Amino acid sequence: MLLLAISLSISHLWAQQRTITGKVTDDKGEPVVNASVVVKGTSVGTITKSDGTYSLSVSENAKILVFSSVNMEPQEVNIGSEGSINTTLKFKNSSLEEVVVVGYSVSTKEAFTGSAKAVKGDALNSKNVSNVSKALAGEVAGVSVINTSGQPGSSATVRIRGLGSVNGNRAPLYVVDGIPYSGNISSINTEDIASVTVLKDAAATSIYGSRGANGVIVITSRSGKGNKSFIEVDGKYGINMASIPRYSILTSPEEYIGLSWEALYNEGVKVGNSNPTNYANTRLFSANGISPNNNIWNAATGAELIDPVTRTVKPGVTRKYDPERWEDYAFESSNRIEANLKMGGGDAKTNYYSSFGYLKDVGYSINTDFERLSARLSLNHEVKPWLASSFSFNYANTETNNNGQGSSSNSVFWFVDNIPSIYPLFLRDASGNKVADPIFGGYQYDYGSTGRKFGSLTNAIADANYNTSLSKRNELTGNASLTAKFTKDLSWENRFGVQYYNAAGYTRNNKFYGSAAGQNGSISQSKNELTNLNFLSMLRYAHRFTSHNIEVLAAHEATKFKEIISSASGYNLVDNYSLELANAIVKNPTSNSYTNTNRLESYFAQFNYDYTGTYYLSGTVRRDGSSRFLGDNQWGTFGSVGLGWVITKMGFMKNIEFIDYLKLKASYGTIGDQVGGGSYYPALTSISIGNLNNLPSFGIPVPNFPDLTWEKSKMFQVGADFRLGTFLTGTVEYYLKNTDNLIFQRRVGPSNGYALLTVNDGQLRNQGIEFDLTGHILKGKSYYLDLGINGEHFKNKITTMPIDPSTSKQKAIDVQAPYGWAVGHSIFDFYIRNFAGVDPADGTSTWTVYYDDANGNKVYNAGEEVLDLEAFYSSNPDKKGALFTSTTKDYTKATQYYIGKSAIPDVRGAFNLSGGFKGLELNVQLLYSFGGYSYDYLYAGLMANGLIGGNNWSTDIRKRWQKPGDITDVPRLSNNADVNVASTSSRFITKANYLALNNIRLGYNLPSSLLQKVPGIQQASLWVSGDNLWLHSERQGFNPATDEAGETNTYRYSPLSTVTVGLKLKF
Amino acid sequence: MNTKYILTLAFAGSAMLSGCKKDYLDTQPSQFTTPDQLGAAAQQDPKLLNGSITGLYTTMFTPGVGGTTGHDDFGHRGVDIYSDMLCSDMVLAALNYGWYAPVARYQATVDFTRNEAYVPWRYLYRQIFGANSIIDILGGNDLVPATAALKVTMGQAKTMRAYGYFYLSQLYAKEYGSGSEKILPIYITADPTKINQPKSTTKEVWDLMVADLTQSITYLEGYTRTTKDQVDKNVAKGLLAYVLAARGTQADWTQVATLTQDIMTAYPMTTAAQLVYNGTNGTTAGFNNIATASWIWGVDLTLAQGINLISWWGQVDQFTYSYAWAGDPKTIDRGLYDAIHADDIRKNQFASPTATSYKLQPINKFFDPARVAGGQRQVITDLVYMRSDEFYLLNAEAKARLGQDASARTALSTFLTPRITDISYLTSLSGQALLNEIYLQTRIELWGEGKSYFAMKRNKATITRGINHLFDAGSSFTYNDPKLTFVIPQAEVLNNPNLNK
Repeated sequence: MLLLAISLSISHLWAQQRTITGKVTDDKGEPVVNASVVVKGTSVGTITKSDGTYSLSVSENAKILVFSSVNMEPQEVNIGSEGSINTTLKFKNSSLEEVVVVGYSVSTKEAFTGSAKAVKGDALNSKNVSNVSKALAGEVAGVSVINTSGQPGSSATVRIRGLGSVNGNRAPLYVVDGIPYSGNISSINTEDIASVTVLKDAAATSIYGSRGANGVIVITSRSGKGNKSFIEVDGKYGINMASIPRYSILTSPEEYIGLSWEALYNEGVKVGNSNPTNYANTRLFSANGISPNNNIWNAATGAELIDPVTRTVKPGVTRKYDPERWEDYAFESSNRIEANLKMGGGDAKTNYYSSFGYLKDVGYSINTDFERLSARLSLNHEVKPWLASSFSFNYANTETNNNGQGSSSNSVFWFVDNIPSIYPLFLRDASGNKVADPIFGGYQYDYGSTGRKFGSLTNAIADANYNTSLSKRNELTGNASLTAKFTKDLSWENRFGVQYYNAAGYTRNNKFYGSAAGQNGSISQSKNELTNLNFLSMLRYAHRFTSHNIEVLAAHEATKFKEIISSASGYNLVDNYSLELANAIVKNPTSNSYTNTNRLESYFAQFNYDYTGTYYLSGTVRRDGSSRFLGDNQWGTFGSVGLGWVITKMGFMKNIEFIDYLKLKASYGTIGDQVGGGSYYPALTSISIGNLNNLPSFGIPVPNFPDLTWEKSKMFQVGADFRLGTFLTGTVEYYLKNTDNLIFQRRVGPSNGYALLTVNDGQLRNQGIEFDLTGHILKGKSYYLDLGINGEHFKNKITTMPIDPSTSKQKAIDVQAPYGWAVGHSIFDFYIRNFAGVDPADGTSTWTVYYDDANGNKVYNAGEEVLDLEAFYSSNPDKKGALFTSTTKDYTKATQYYIGKSAIPDVRGAFNLSGGFKGLELNVQLLYSFGGYSYDYLYAGLMANGLIGGNNWSTDIRKRWQKPGDITDVPRLSNNADVNVASTSSRFITKANYLALNNIRLGYNLPSSLLQKVPGIQQASLWVSGDNLWLHSERQGFNPATDEAGETNTYRYSPLSTVTVGLKLKF
Repeated sequence: MNTKYILTLAFAGSAMLSGCKKDYLDTQPSQFTTPDQLGAAAQQDPKLLNGSITGLYTTMFTPGVGGTTGHDDFGHRGVDIYSDMLCSDMVLAALNYGWYAPVARYQATVDFTRNEAYVPWRYLYRQIFGANSIIDILGGNDLVPATAALKVTMGQAKTMRAYGYFYLSQLYAKEYGSGSEKILPIYITADPTKINQPKSTTKEVWDLMVADLTQSITYLEGYTRTTKDQVDKNVAKGLLAYVLAARGTQADWTQVATLTQDIMTAYPMTTAAQLVYNGTNGTTAGFNNIATASWIWGVDLTLAQGINLISWWGQVDQFTYSYAWAGDPKTIDRGLYDAIHADDIRKNQFASPTATSYKLQPINKFFDPARVAGGQRQVITDLVYMRSDEFYLLNAEAKARLGQDASARTALSTFLTPRITDISYLTSLSGQALLNEIYLQTRIELWGEGKSYFAMKRNKATITRGINHLFDAGSSFTYNDPKLTFVIPQAEVLNNPNLNK
């Protein structure tokens, strides 16, 4: 030791000192403050002053200076003989260096060979939605976020890269802090999320083996790592409303009754009545028309009310009363309140993060809301130099009121869009006055018991006001791990994760009105308790040789999922409001409980390698065993390889100035999906357990396929990440994914006693191209403007249909109205009867018919029709091209065939505009979709020809056929005398193009000059933000973004719009 | 350093091994049972084996057994509403929620895409599959069971199989015809390798039904059931009588006369007091109680079954909280109502056409005893599948068909005496007029019980819709009009490639 000290001091003595000075600037010429200047290989160094200058004393033998600064590329400069060294540091391309959490390890965008897109928590939090699934909309190319409901707290449906299965599962896997997540996405406060990574290709997802086939969404929570102690407080206040217009419907009772009269008149014509005017006059207010009780006019008969020439209400006729507009009582603007308190911090060994959040989000439809109280604690501690522990714990208490949303007469939305405007919301007495309600106060609702021909004996608005539909949930997610380091490179991590929730659902129907009045009120409860345990044990070795970098991991993981479901109900309530069964005098003997279990055991290994940061290689293998399947079918093996090549690091690229960065990547692998069987025991024949005379009664067996196993996808991808100058960064990826062994519900003739058998058969291909481009339009010291566009174009095609064992051939067509499944077609290709317009002579509908001209007269004769074109061609292949087409007025004779339209769009994605000027920031996000078609079911209902008084009409009904010679595509109204007017046909297939303003946000960060006046505050920002503010689609009210195939539904709670102001302070 | 290795070894031991037990991946369901689980349980408790045959009976009233979520899909009595509407005796008197409209307008029968064409097909073949599963377990079609108890199970299973084929033969085939028409696929086993059978001829279908029922009657001899939902000898005899009558050879009618006589010996007629509610007898009258002595086959619904809105009572009864009350009432055809003699107490089963409310609804025949409009929320009024009166009438018909007009008149008089004050008009009837009268009385007596459709078919009748029909009022239809028989549903046509082989 002594000798060594002496020799060191000698060398120090021998070295000659010199001083180097200089200035560090950025690429705009601005000085860089606090940049570090260090002699390479030593600890000799200094930092730059506020003007960017430095002065450093170095020894004679110092060769190289290293300049570096936060967010800037380090720069090495040879020390020559000069005493002054100035240098310019470039800003780093942060997106390449950023750590990305991928599967069981972390990587950077540059090093990762697969497709992973990280979205920062800030981007998600700029949207005012209650959970991360909805916030993902527009952020990632190839990820389709379907906002299926405006119910606060509800999750979105997410689809990654096409449509992964026919009957199986198409939903991605969620992973939270490394543990596959079975809890509720809405119990995670988005403010606690540091980042979300979407994994899309096989290289990225095969480490999740049997669960990765439909993509993986990895959520990483915030921690206190690398932070000085901080307190962050934010508050948001918003208004929720229904600002996207609903369908344009008739609102005038007079217009409605005029059309009703016309419908009766046309019916009179159709049935051959000699005096159709009289026919309509006498029937308008009768058992054959609208109930006289619902005549709101001071005119007793049709003759008194309607002018038969104009077919409208005669001038001067007055109303007895004005029926309410139901929408006015169903929807109202409401509030959204959110507040969060976050604290964190740490030092080199320990860091923590804690948060408390409160959210109350009230929907625009009455009595719908979501309330969440959440708390989080995350603690990381290095116990010993060789042992690190981490612990996190998330608790959420949520309450959801979701009244008026059944797919039934209980639906507020069905009423609002469909009830004819002649019907009042409140009950009227004989003289048209509202009737006081002695029980709840105010006025009694009209339950339609006096002959209302729409939703009679119900009133969804009254139900939503008086009844309860509530769910409460306590949810806990915990995660603890210990990592032991054997050496610098070798570590062993053991992790235990738990997801637990206890949820209770309550339905109460009040004692006095509506469905349970006869029972003196009723309540029912359902309780779900979930325990999902996950154990992971993982060995990891990572080592950097000079130019080789290796990481290897091997792990075992086991998952135990158990959900206990119970239900009980009763009626005859004591107290009208109490939700507990003790309050019900009579308990129903139908109470029940059962448990669903699911277990998974896995072994997996991964290998990552890079050479000089230029060539990257990764390989993954995973073997999964699942309790969903039986015997040998329980186990499956999945794997992938990925390659990356950073071309710009090659010497020959140095001269190509405009390409700053270019990486090519390719991957191939297999991944599976096991959920698609539909139940937890999809391979078992099930027998229901019933009660007959209090003795056991076993249901008729529902056969299952005992050999059922995973569906397996083989995915190939190539892609490029690039940066052109300072103007454009982007990623373009192409993938081809073949899924075989599809979990397919193979249909058999129902005469077999069952209609389908869930088997593994058939093949599906998804292929597509995805792009994510950001143009840096303006970039200056105090301003910037970026425009991003991302999108996907994909094709979906069934390449093999399941074999029918009774013919040993592939099935020709599986009709799934309005779609048909056949080889060569996507799962959303319309296979349907084609609406061929309205006959100008009589106003009735016509449909296309293919016919086999048996008698050769070139005219369609009854009996020559082909009902199902694909099936016909399959059994008569020689007839292809030999059929003729004509039209028929008989819907049941029309041909079902592929009409050449699909619900899959040509391109969809988002535009993201973000700009800043000084402290101001503006972000705009537009979602788009072009080129697909969707079935507008809601509109079909509003254009139907039902019995009068039974449904309202769209304002498009004004275009109906009225007299011979009218050229229109809207058939005549005839009080249902013409049938199948609104039956499934191409008539209601609508272009599904849309452009939606998903989010716009204007924020302001207070300048530090101002902040300095308020001691303690480090950061302050305030903003105003709007979500889902505007939509352009083919038709007002038609919102194809609410369904996977763009279909509309009369019961759907249209997504709400929100405008929020917020303030965030950091101390 | 020692601590470090001890600790990590401990992790390795606990974490790596935790998931590795061999049976870790073997889980069992609890929401339902499986053949294996049930077999194991039955080894301890053999009484459980009866539960499989009663499963067929439970299927008769369970919602959704027709493979849809429709509120008209609830098994046997759901099919009955279809057939009662097809023969026009049951009128869909108003449309609000619109269930049954495609049946009442004869749209569903000719449109193979309609759910209404699918539901009976799916339900009845499900029953056949259930019966075949049990027959397979017992040892197959040709095995003679060793014990009396096993014979009873076999007899019940084969009766239920014949029940399935009989209803299918009525709903999906116009008539017996020459016997050579191909009408339905036949399955006599649940063996999964024998799927997608082609259509068989009417003769083959009838031969199977007759054989099954004849054998069942033997097997069920001496068996005393505990509840009326189970099949016994008389249920099998009743079904056989219908099967034979639907074929209608003279030999068949001779046998029908014998079979119906057996049933008449075993069961009394429904009494006049039970037939109709008169304002005071709400708890004893009406067709709502399994204890009624004339009921041969039916089910005692209890709260335990949780039957609700989606039920026969919901669709037909004004006093049940469901569709009949909520704007889709089912009423008697006005022409049929008018044909009921004024002095026939059964006329009072229906509200008068001039009543202020419930016009022509069966409010005094089928009603929840509490008689509160929309009152019965959970259905516990019972379902009748078969009652003795059917066979009193069929007995008269058999005699008339065999040319024994006098005996037929006597039988009819005996039956009508408690019902009609003045039956003297019967004495003048003979031949076709007598048959017509028996047919009319069958329609009146069995309104809403799913039997009039069979009577229409075997009488080769033409029906004329009364003025209260919403659709086709005044139009006439012959029994073999394509509109009166369902087409085989699209799901079968598309998914059974052997259907027409």
